[in-house]
Amino acid sequence: MQLTGKSKAALIIGLLPAFLIYTVFAIYPIIQSFYYSFMEWDGFSEMEFIGLQNFENLFQDPLFWNSVGNNIFVVIASVFGQIPIALFIALLLNRKIKGLKIFRTIGFLPVVLSTVVISLTWSLIYNTKDGMINEILRAVGLDFLAQNWLGDTKWSMVAVCITVIWQFVGLYLIIFLAALQNIPEEVMEAAKMDGASEWVTTWKITIPMIWDTVIVAIILCISGSLRTFDLIYVMTHGGPSHSTDVMALYMFNETFSNLQYGYGSAVSVFIFFFSLILIGIVKKVLGQKFI
Amino acid sequence: MKKLGVLVLGLLLLFLTACGGGEEKTSGDSKVTELTVWNDWTENRPEYKVYKDIIAKFNEENKGSIHVKIESIPHDQYETKLRTQAAGKQLPDMFRVWPGARIQPLVEGKVLLPLNDILDTWEGKIPEGILKDYAVDGKQYAIPANISETSLIYYHKDVLAKAGFEEFPKTYDELKDLIKALNDQKVTPIALGNKAIWPLQSVYISTIADRFTGSEFLPSTLSGKDSFTDENFVKALAVVEELAKLKAFNEDFNTIDEAQSRTLFNSGEAAMHFAGSWAIGPILEGVENIDNIGVAPFPSFGGEGDTAKISGAAGGGIALNAELSGKKKEAAFKFLQFFYGDELYQGLAKSNIVVPVQVEMDDSIPEIYKTANGFAQGGLAPVYDATLTPELTDMINNGLQSITIGEKTPKELAEEMQKENEQGKK
Repeated sequence: MQLTGKSKAALIIGLLPAFLIYTVFAIYPIIQSFYYSFMEWDGFSEMEFIGLQNFENLFQDPLFWNSVGNNIFVVIASVFGQIPIALFIALLLNRKIKGLKIFRTIGFLPVVLSTVVISLTWSLIYNTKDGMINEILRAVGLDFLAQNWLGDTKWSMVAVCITVIWQFVGLYLIIFLAALQNIPEEVMEAAKMDGASEWVTTWKITIPMIWDTVIVAIILCISGSLRTFDLIYVMTHGGPSHSTDVMALYMFNETFSNLQYGYGSAVSVFIFFFSLILIGIVKKVLGQKFI
Repeated sequence: MKKLGVLVLGLLLLFLTACGGGEEKTSGDSKVTELTVWNDWTENRPEYKVYKDIIAKFNEENKGSIHVKIESIPHDQYETKLRTQAAGKQLPDMFRVWPGARIQPLVEGKVLLPLNDILDTWEGKIPEGILKDYAVDGKQYAIPANISETSLIYYHKDVLAKAGFEEFPKTYDELKDLIKALNDQKVTPIALGNKAIWPLQSVYISTIADRFTGSEFLPSTLSGKDSFTDENFVKALAVVEELAKLKAFNEDFNTIDEAQSRTLFNSGEAAMHFAGSWAIGPILEGVENIDNIGVAPFPSFGGEGDTAKISGAAGGGIALNAELSGKKKEAAFKFLQFFYGDELYQGLAKSNIVVPVQVEMDDSIPEIYKTANGFAQGGLAPVYDATLTPELTDMINNGLQSITIGEKTPKELAEEMQKENEQGKK
């Protein structure tokens, strides 16, 4: 778009308020975090410059690597759970069926619900004594399958991930549905005329045509999972025995419960670069230019 | 286009002035001094009603000059929020604090106002030994409202009788027999809610470890003379392991809250509940037949500690923001002098709270409270999370949870704690 001098000025004036607010509330705190990460600071007393000591401690803490591992688990579960399920449902819903709007609304409902509500509800469902899952398993005689879902380190992470997937499938469903509805009718008709089967149409035409949207969804999914905090905080507090600890939760506990603001900032800085690099790699792999 | 620019600029100005306008409103009306007090009085407990009633009375008596506003935050989140706000220098005028190691960082951060100017109000009334829980380096930062015993055992008398125990077990071995007998009858032996991970430490280990090691152990370990790897301390941690292995707790103990576990006990589904004196009120409210509820001290474990002791600390203190000055400071002092008065202590005693001053007791006071009150006479042992550093507290909290599910051994936790203790701050 060509801009004349005048409209450029208008553009700048238009962007200025948002930019100012963004600088104060987003960019400045990030820079401040970098600064704090080189300090020993408990939040109250004088800061003391300790160079890279925080990072050194961070890399030596097995609990931290445990949280990184768990977080990667969440990322993988989200990408391979949310995206395929959402895509599958979107493809099903993308035809003239009765009650499409109802299904769409039902699918999107979890996204609208508050995370705390979801976490508490799922905690009740997972409860080992009288939760829904175990009750059903017992009712049909599958007692041996009943587990202490959130209280057993073997299952806690799986249980949490199922809830995460359930919560966000609706969001990607709506994104995919919107993309699917943008595929021109003619292309589909041409395929039909050429005698392409439903299966071939889906793989050779539909999915390639929305591939850009899929990539965006995957990136949203990764960055969302790297930030995941509230759901796990309410459901398990990262327990039992740190089995559901993720990076953001580790950062929160170190900073606010253990009063190590400098150390916590170092964790934040690590999460920042970790996310940046991971998303960069994914974009490269999926064949999109980075930034 | 120019018009658009003017419009945006106008909107921006409007936005900024709107913000400015908001501030003016709150600082106006200078006649009434408003004080905000933060607390965790969210549960439906009689003592919280006493606190709130006294504040209401204070507001009534000082109408037109001082108004105290109450803001309540759920207990499990309260302290984190307080520390976060403290770091951001955004504390309210007054806020509930816990004694010992838990006010230490706030004192070091110079966010608390010393109360020494008005301390003579309580001299001779509250014993020195209890006042000092809220003092650091000779400066008093809050006044205790109650004594919080952290380790008591509540039990249903009829359920224990059915299992063959007319009296509560005096030794740990007998307690184990009781647990086995209850399990045989398909009754949950102990109701525990350890999701927030502090109960096993604050309620269980504080007294169990004291029974094994004696009260000198904790201070001398923190000062470097003793070590957490001490055999007796490891034995204390092993008790938690053994209880978990015996299936002494409700199955979902790592996934429910402390308050939720109390419901389990109140409903009679669980025979026992280990909790502090804070549970007396909710239990008396929640059970159908009060006479059926017994309260007992922890049994003896055959260690080096004094078996008459129970872990406990002063509680219910309200600290003042160091930035208070002039009129607000005066008002806050006036409030504290009113708040921590005879009326409070009598009201609390009537609500079955153990108080640090002498209060007359009549027959209307339930047996369970009198018994619990009596335990405090045997002397108080240090409470772990009131004494340990936040890092060590976090470590033992998580470690105990790991022990219950077999992810860690008591010895490993003890070694880990000692390592942290030697390194001090990271």
